[in-house]
Amino acid sequence: MTIALGHYLILAVFLFTVGVIGALTRKSAIIVFLSIELMLNAANVVFMAMGRYFGQLDGAVFVLFILAVSAAEAAVGVAIVVAFIRRRGTTDIDAANLMKW
Amino acid sequence: MIASVVFFAVAFLAFLGALALVFHRHPMVAGLGMALSTLSIGVLYVLLRVPFLGLFQAIIYAGAVMVIVLYIVMALGQEETGPRIGSVQTGLTYVAAALLLVQFYWAIVRSGAGPFPEGSALPPVAAGGTNYPFGTIQAFGSLLVSRYAVPFEVASLLLVGAMIGAVILSRRSWS
Repeated sequence: MTIALGHYLILAVFLFTVGVIGALTRKSAIIVFLSIELMLNAANVVFMAMGRYFGQLDGAVFVLFILAVSAAEAAVGVAIVVAFIRRRGTTDIDAANLMKW
Repeated sequence: MIASVVFFAVAFLAFLGALALVFHRHPMVAGLGMALSTLSIGVLYVLLRVPFLGLFQAIIYAGAVMVIVLYIVMALGQEETGPRIGSVQTGLTYVAAALLLVQFYWAIVRSGAGPFPEGSALPPVAAGGTNYPFGTIQAFGSLLVSRYAVPFEVASLLLVGAMIGAVILSRRSWS
């Protein structure tokens, strides 16, 4: 059988759903952060498959921009986690209740 | 034929890594699962005829991002925290995830998307006034400095801002 657009889209949907479950159910801030990166990756797969389907490279350009944004997000996110561990001594996101009403 | 075997193997590895990330209790295994998943997605980019982006994916994600995260896990966070089983939030999350899967699956099947164009059905890409074959780095670079020149510059500004922000956030004192 030949691999069509639908195979890539189904794979991206599965990865995105697993990322949603991880971002909403895990307690460690690092794992939540990595789950969000996984969801970004799933969106990247859709961009690439659609670009290949329509014969345009614009999807690949957008993937590069998303890579840049997620690298920036990783730098700032890891710095926030480090600052948080210094103050509270844990990565449990339930401990982040300073702005909770 | 060989491409479809490679696709299914790589898709399985990507999904396995994602499952390890979300459901394994140990943060180190979770980080390595994420690395496996991102590397497999990089192989998918090669299958989609844009091989240099697969290389970028391997360098940026499996290289830079994963090394930073694994460093944090090793240096600071050793506690093992699994999913919160039994809470209301977990139940609602699984319901939402099931709905998401059903909705997307229905949309994809209904769209009737066919196979990828090959050979002469895959036209060259017009970028910067010239035509280049699909997936070459010449086409990609021309597109980046012609149609997407402004977003390209904004991305560099964003990276500089993120770098300065990370340095300020991880200072020891706020004096």
